Amino acid sequence: MSARIDERNTMKIALFIPCLVNQMVPEVGIATLELLEKLGHQVILPKGQTCCGQPMTNSGCYNEAKKTTLKLLNAFKGVECDAIVCPAASCLVAAKENFHEFDSSPEAQAVIDKLYELTEFLHDVSPIPAFNKPFPHKISLQMSCHGIRMLDLATPSEQMGPRTNKFEAVLAAIPEIEIVYPERRDECCGFGGTFALDEGAVSAKMGKDKAQAHAETGAAYAVGFDPSCLLHIDGMVRRQKLPIETRHIAQIINAAL
Amino acid sequence: MSSKHDILNALKSAAIAPQAMPVINISPRIDDLVGQFETSLNTVAGTLHRDGGLAKLQAQVDEHIANGMQIISMVDGIKANRQVTETAHQLKDIDYAVISGDLAVAENGAIWVNNKNLGHRVTPFICENLFLVVDANNIVANMHQAASRITLAPGEFGTFIAGPSKTADIEQALVVGAHGACSLNVYLI
Amino acid sequence: MSTSTPAIHAQKAEIFCQDEARVDWHSKALWVLREKRDRAAGSLPEWEQLRQIGSEMKLHTLTHLAQYLEEFEQNCIQNNIQVHWAKDGAEHNRIVHDILAKHDVKKLVKSKSMLTEECHMNPYLEQRGIEVIDTDLGERIIQLAKQPPSHIVVPAIHLKKEEVGELFHDKLGTDAGASDPLYLTRAARAHLRQQFLSADAAMTGVNMAVADKGAVVVCTNEGNADMGANLPKLQLHSMGIDKIVPNIDSAAVLLRTLARNATGQPVTTYSSFYRGPQEGGEMHVIIVDNGRTDMLKDKILAESLKCIRCGGCLNTCPVYRRSGGYSYNYTIPGPIGIAVGAKSDDTNSIPWACTLCGSCSYVCPTKVPLDKIIHHHRRLKAEAGKLPYGKASYMPLVGKFMASETALNCSMSMARTALKILPGSLLKPFSGAWGKYRELPIAPNSSFEAWFKKNRG
Repeated sequence: MSARIDERNTMKIALFIPCLVNQMVPEVGIATLELLEKLGHQVILPKGQTCCGQPMTNSGCYNEAKKTTLKLLNAFKGVECDAIVCPAASCLVAAKENFHEFDSSPEAQAVIDKLYELTEFLHDVSPIPAFNKPFPHKISLQMSCHGIRMLDLATPSEQMGPRTNKFEAVLAAIPEIEIVYPERRDECCGFGGTFALDEGAVSAKMGKDKAQAHAETGAAYAVGFDPSCLLHIDGMVRRQKLPIETRHIAQIINAAL
Repeated sequence: MSSKHDILNALKSAAIAPQAMPVINISPRIDDLVGQFETSLNTVAGTLHRDGGLAKLQAQVDEHIANGMQIISMVDGIKANRQVTETAHQLKDIDYAVISGDLAVAENGAIWVNNKNLGHRVTPFICENLFLVVDANNIVANMHQAASRITLAPGEFGTFIAGPSKTADIEQALVVGAHGACSLNVYLI
Repeated sequence: MSTSTPAIHAQKAEIFCQDEARVDWHSKALWVLREKRDRAAGSLPEWEQLRQIGSEMKLHTLTHLAQYLEEFEQNCIQNNIQVHWAKDGAEHNRIVHDILAKHDVKKLVKSKSMLTEECHMNPYLEQRGIEVIDTDLGERIIQLAKQPPSHIVVPAIHLKKEEVGELFHDKLGTDAGASDPLYLTRAARAHLRQQFLSADAAMTGVNMAVADKGAVVVCTNEGNADMGANLPKLQLHSMGIDKIVPNIDSAAVLLRTLARNATGQPVTTYSSFYRGPQEGGEMHVIIVDNGRTDMLKDKILAESLKCIRCGGCLNTCPVYRRSGGYSYNYTIPGPIGIAVGAKSDDTNSIPWACTLCGSCSYVCPTKVPLDKIIHHHRRLKAEAGKLPYGKASYMPLVGKFMASETALNCSMSMARTALKILPGSLLKPFSGAWGKYRELPIAPNSSFEAWFKKNRG
C-alpha cells in the first residue's frame, strides 16, 4: 500500500473519473469529490483522462485498446498524489490490468500501486471518522461482479469460510440507514459492457430480474459502486416503472457527511 | 501404437511447467462418528439400524420371506431363500440382497463394498432393495481416511454405495429408486 | 426460425428469451441446484482447502500427464484391462465399433459420457447397425425425444414433466396425461431393466482414472453404469486424457467435491472402482485426446482440463440459465462449454455469451479460471480476425475515438444534447439493443470535467 496519511489524516488525492462517469453521471464524480473534500483531503483532477480500454480488451481487441489505455496511464504518470481514487470498480479493475498489460515500467507500477476504488479507499485507507447526518432510508445493495470478485469488496457468495463485506461496512455506520439485499445477492445484473449490446435479450432479462429483486426488498434506493451497472439497472427500473431509484455509494455517503 | 505415440509426443509441448503434487492434510471430524454417519445416511435416503445387529436383520429377512419375497444373503449368519445364481442375469427377480460392507464413511453415508462379498458384481444394483451390514468399528470420518483403508486388489471391483439409487432428472423432483436398489437399510454390528 | 447454418449465440438466446415464463422456470430450476451446492459446500469447513488441493492435484497430473498415462496403461494391462488410444473422435468411434463388431454386439447400453457426445459416437454406431440405449434417465428422455443434452449433469433440464409425460406416453406407453415424476421414473426403470438384461455390451464414461491402480472410477446416482457394466460380459469405458489422477487419495479429494458441487449431495449414490473385468468378462478402456493436447499447449486454456464435469458452472451462470443449453453451438454448454468449445465454434460468438462476472470461477471445485479462459478466447478470436457482432469493423473506431479526448467530449456532448431534446420514441431506433429493452439514460447537463473546471478550476 503506497497511500500515506499525514498527521492531520489528510491526503492528496487524484480523481480517476472514467469516461462513463464523466459524460453520463457527473453527479457521481461530484459526490466523490465533495465527500473526499469533506473528509479533509485535497482533491485534484489530472487532465487528459480517457477510457481505460475495457470495452476493447473485453472484446478481445488489445491492439485497439492500447492507445487509449496508455493515454489514460500517462494522465497519471508523474502526478504528485498519495492515492488515485476511482468511483467505478469495473473501470478500476480494467485500468489496473490494462496498464500492466501495456506498460511494465516502474512508473506504470507506481500508478497502479496508488489506484483505489472509492469503497476500498474508504474502508482500507481512509475510514470515515463519523457521519454528521442521518440517512433514514432503506437501501438495497447492488453487489456488482468486478468489485466483489476481483477487488474483494465483499466475499463472493460462491466462496465458503470467513466473510468480509467492505461495502456494507462503510455504509452501515451511517445513522438511521437500513441495509438490505436483493435475492441472489451477487448474481450479475447483465450489463457486461458490450454484452448489453451484443446479447441484448439476455442482458435485458438479467437486468429486469435484478431490478425487480431490488424493488422487491421495498428499498427506496438500489445502491452500488459501479456506475455502469447502475445505469443499466436504472434503464430497466424506469422501463418497468418500479418504485425504486439507483444511487451510487458516493451520493449516499456525501449526503450523510 | 502410433496414436499412443502421437499423444504422448504431443504432451511434450505442454505449456505449463511441472507442478508439485499437493499434500493432502485435511483434519477429520472425529466426534460421534455413528451419529455423523446416521445423519449423512438419512441425507442420501438410507436408514440406519444402530441396535439389534444381525438378529434384528434376520428377523426382518424372515418376515419378508414369509411375505413371499426372494432374498439372497451374502452375509455369514443371515439365512435367506436364494443362492448365488449361475448367471448374473438370473438375479433379476431378487427382492432383497443382504451384503456386508467393509467400511462406512461418516461424512457422506457411503459404504464400501468389495466384489469378494457380492457373488455377482451386479448383486447390489439389480436387487429391488438392499440390506448392508457394517461393523460399527469400521466407520471412518471422511473419504481421505476411507481411501487409505479400502481394499481393491488387482482385477477387483469395489463401490461406495450411498443410499438407494435415485434421480432428479424429471423437473428436479427427487425420485428414490432409479435403476439400482429402491431402498437401503444399514445394520450396524 | 431454424436455419441450416448454426446461428450465433445471441440469436438463439433471443429466441429462448421470448417465452419469459419458461426462462424464469429454467433459471430457477438451476438456481436451486446452486443453492443446494452452497449448503453442501458450506457444511464442510475445509471446502476452500479441498478446492485448492483439487486444483493443484489436477495441475500436477496435467503437467506429468505422459508419465501417469503410461503408468495407468501398464497397470491396466496387469489387471487384464485392454487399453486403446484415440487421437480424435473418429478414431475413438472406430475403435469402439471394432470391439463391438468383433463380439457381434447388437445392443449397447450406455451410461452418461460427455466424451461420447463430443465424439458423436451414437449416430456412428447406429449407422452401423448397433442399437445404442442411453440409460441415464435424463439421457434416455432426450434420446427418445431425439435431442442433444442441454446440460452436462441434468441433460433434460429444459423439459417440463408434462413434456416428458407426453413423450413417454408416445414411446413407452405410459398413461396419457400422466406427468408425475415418480410414475414416469418407475416406467423408465421397468423399460430400462429390459434393456440392461438384453444388452450385449455396456459402455460408460470415466470420472477418474487411477494411475497407480489401473482402475477407472464411474459415478452415478441412478446405478445405471453399474447395472450396465456388470450384466453383459463386455464393458467399455471411454475417457479423455484429462481424467487421470495419480492415486486413490487424489480420487477421494474429487469425490468429496464432485457431487456436492453438482447437486448438493454429499457424494453420488454409487462411486464404483473397476480394476478389471468381471469373471469371464472383457474390459476395454479407450483413452482419447480429441484436442486436449492442443489445449495443453496454451497456458491459459490448459487449465480448462482441470474440469471434473460437475456442472456447477452451468448452474451458477446467469447467461446459461437465461439462454438454455442449446444456444452454445457446442455439445457442452455454459462456461466450461465456452472454455473447451470456443475453438471449434464456427459462429465465433460463444466467447461473448458471458458477462465476465466470474461466478463460475469461484464455484468451480478445481478452480478452473473460467472467466480468464473465456476472456482469453476473445483475444484469440480477435487475433485470428474472427470477431462476431460487427466488432471487427467498429472496435478500431471505438479505440481511436476513446483515445481522443476531443472526439469523445464533442460527440458525448452531442449525445447528451440529443438525449435531452429528442423524444424517446425518436431515439430508440438509433440506440439499438440498449433502448430496445431499457429506458435511455437521463442526460446530465454537462460532463464532470466541465463542472470541475467551473467549480474548482
